[in-house]
Amino acid sequence: MAFLVLDGLTKRFGEHIAVENLSLAVEQGEFLALLGPSGCGKTTTLQMIAGFVTPTSGTITLAGQDLLAVKPAKRGLGIVFQSYALFPHMTAAENVAFGLEMQGVDKSERSRRVTEALELVGLGKFAERHPRRMSGGQQQRVALARALVIRPSILLLDEPLSNLDAKLREEMQIELRQIQRNVGTTTILVTHDQSEAMALSDRIAVMSQGRIEQIAPPHEAYERPATPFVANFLGKTNVLQAQVQSGQALLGEGRWPVPAGSPPRVLVTVRPEKIGFADGGAQALAGQVVTRIFQGNHWLYQVDTAHGRVTVIRQNSGETAPAEGEAVRLSWRQEDMSVRPAETAR
Amino acid sequence: MSRNGPLALIFHTLFVIFTLAPIVVVCVVAFTPEGYLSLPTNGPSLRWFRTIARYPEFINAFWTSIWLGTVSSVIALAFSVPAALAIARYDFTGREALTALFMSPLMIPHVVLGIAFLRFFTQIGIGGTFLGLVLSHIVVVLPFALRLTLASATGMDRRIEQAAISLGASEWTVLKRITLPLILPGLASGWALSFITSFDEVTMTVFIAAPGTETLPVRMFLYIQDNIDPLVTSVSASVIAATVVALIVMDRIYGLERLLVGRGSGDR
Ligand SMILES: Nc1ncnc2c1ncn2[C@@H]1O[C@H](COP(=O)(O)OP(=O)(O)OP(=O)(O)O)[C@@H](O)[C@H]1O
Ligand SMILES: [Mg+2]
Repeated sequence: MAFLVLDGLTKRFGEHIAVENLSLAVEQGEFLALLGPSGCGKTTTLQMIAGFVTPTSGTITLAGQDLLAVKPAKRGLGIVFQSYALFPHMTAAENVAFGLEMQGVDKSERSRRVTEALELVGLGKFAERHPRRMSGGQQQRVALARALVIRPSILLLDEPLSNLDAKLREEMQIELRQIQRNVGTTTILVTHDQSEAMALSDRIAVMSQGRIEQIAPPHEAYERPATPFVANFLGKTNVLQAQVQSGQALLGEGRWPVPAGSPPRVLVTVRPEKIGFADGGAQALAGQVVTRIFQGNHWLYQVDTAHGRVTVIRQNSGETAPAEGEAVRLSWRQEDMSVRPAETAR
Repeated sequence: MSRNGPLALIFHTLFVIFTLAPIVVVCVVAFTPEGYLSLPTNGPSLRWFRTIARYPEFINAFWTSIWLGTVSSVIALAFSVPAALAIARYDFTGREALTALFMSPLMIPHVVLGIAFLRFFTQIGIGGTFLGLVLSHIVVVLPFALRLTLASATGMDRRIEQAAISLGASEWTVLKRITLPLILPGLASGWALSFITSFDEVTMTVFIAAPGTETLPVRMFLYIQDNIDPLVTSVSASVIAATVVALIVMDRIYGLERLLVGRGSGDR
């Protein structure tokens, strides 16, 4: 049995269902991301694990023990809130020491572990500072140290990086990942940022409207999205309507083999970076470049085709880039596209 | 400050003049050597300050007021903290009604309260006692204590308490170590406002107080009904001086801004 198991977890607020029949198993030491758009129930799920929201139904089991029977104060989980929720009237060191004090750790041991935790997050010199005199990134690290110092069985992170600017966020992502690797704490990260989820986690659980759409390693979720929602949420994608004739999807003059038993009308999904410009061959879709935008390491194209507008991303590898207005032929490998019946489109 | 236009500047100046002028006049008149209310033209005299010593009932009334203000504001605050936390946190039936009940003394004229309390206290046998004064003043200052406590309890981030709980703190520890320190500025200003309101109250108290339990404002009110000498001005000036000294001492010890505005806001 997995370390943490959520089974059939549901939370209703009056008529509104915030989390619906959610089941999830997390292994010890795993880094799992709960990814989904705003309002999809991520925080509610985390709050149910933490014990601050009582589930309407369902169970939570931690190491084989019923977690719902345990009071929030006794669950021994480390939580980092989106707003950090540091104690403003205490210094960084006092913030970190609080949990140890509650555990009854004696004074010398306490100060040793506080120093250790602050050094782990690179804040050794800031022990005596008050939170309001620290930057967002520093506060975030204090919050992390405060959660980690009690050696929690699980670390719960609710959008911990969303208040930081882009550059700092990237740095903190790398740092967070390293710290988690070193400490080895089972971690659940809530985020609405797909690149953050992919950069940090071992597995991603993509949520939409209170349900989990797919749980998979980042690479797999990206390459083989289980639903159109996942495909769209994890980065840009192109969705093209196509007719199926004798086992082949027709796109312009191009033909791509589709799985046997496909309905006559299908949706073909293909990522922009998988599309190339072809010189010839059967698997190609004719179009005309509408816009071409230079983005440093890659070019971003919008191409008009008979099946609608297609986004294409090409590495800036030195090859000649088609100009705006130029006629092109788009091609991609069969294994890079996914095909699903047109009716299931949401 | 430079954002104030000329009109605003005039307004502020007038406001300050109108507020301070009576106080200044009282303080100056207090130093008159004459036996009637007048400005001291032949140099200041301490005649009326010395006269206070011959009226021990003023001194006693002063201490009655201090005690009454302290006891009633502390009790009102002790009521307000749990009430404010409950009102701010929980959505229970009767929540609105409870808030309205606590606030209702604000809407009743103090004359009416005075007469009602007079009858009530006489009937239950505590008319004219200090206990009666305390009970009536608690009712009058409660809205002020509750309003300010409620404001800081509502403004507090619940996640901070949740963080403490997740770190293993019991409910009592959270209250003592997290919640109370964080709402302290609200408590301090609520207490100060309650104390001042109690110290200031005369309309209602004049009905309830009896000889021996007269508060300072009541004593002064009764005195000016029978006398026209400047004694009340020297008493007022003394109270003003005591207030200023108290404020300076508090500022030196705690930092007034820190106490009333919020902890640590001074070190930004
Ligand atoms: N206490 C509450 N009472 C009523 N509805 C609530 C409550 N808490 C959350 N909800 C609703 O439940 C849904 C899920 O909320 P939740 O906070 O879990 O979203 P989220 O995925 O964390 O979103 P975000 O990314 O914006 O933080 C939302 O529609 C929200 O309005
Ligand atoms: Mg949230």
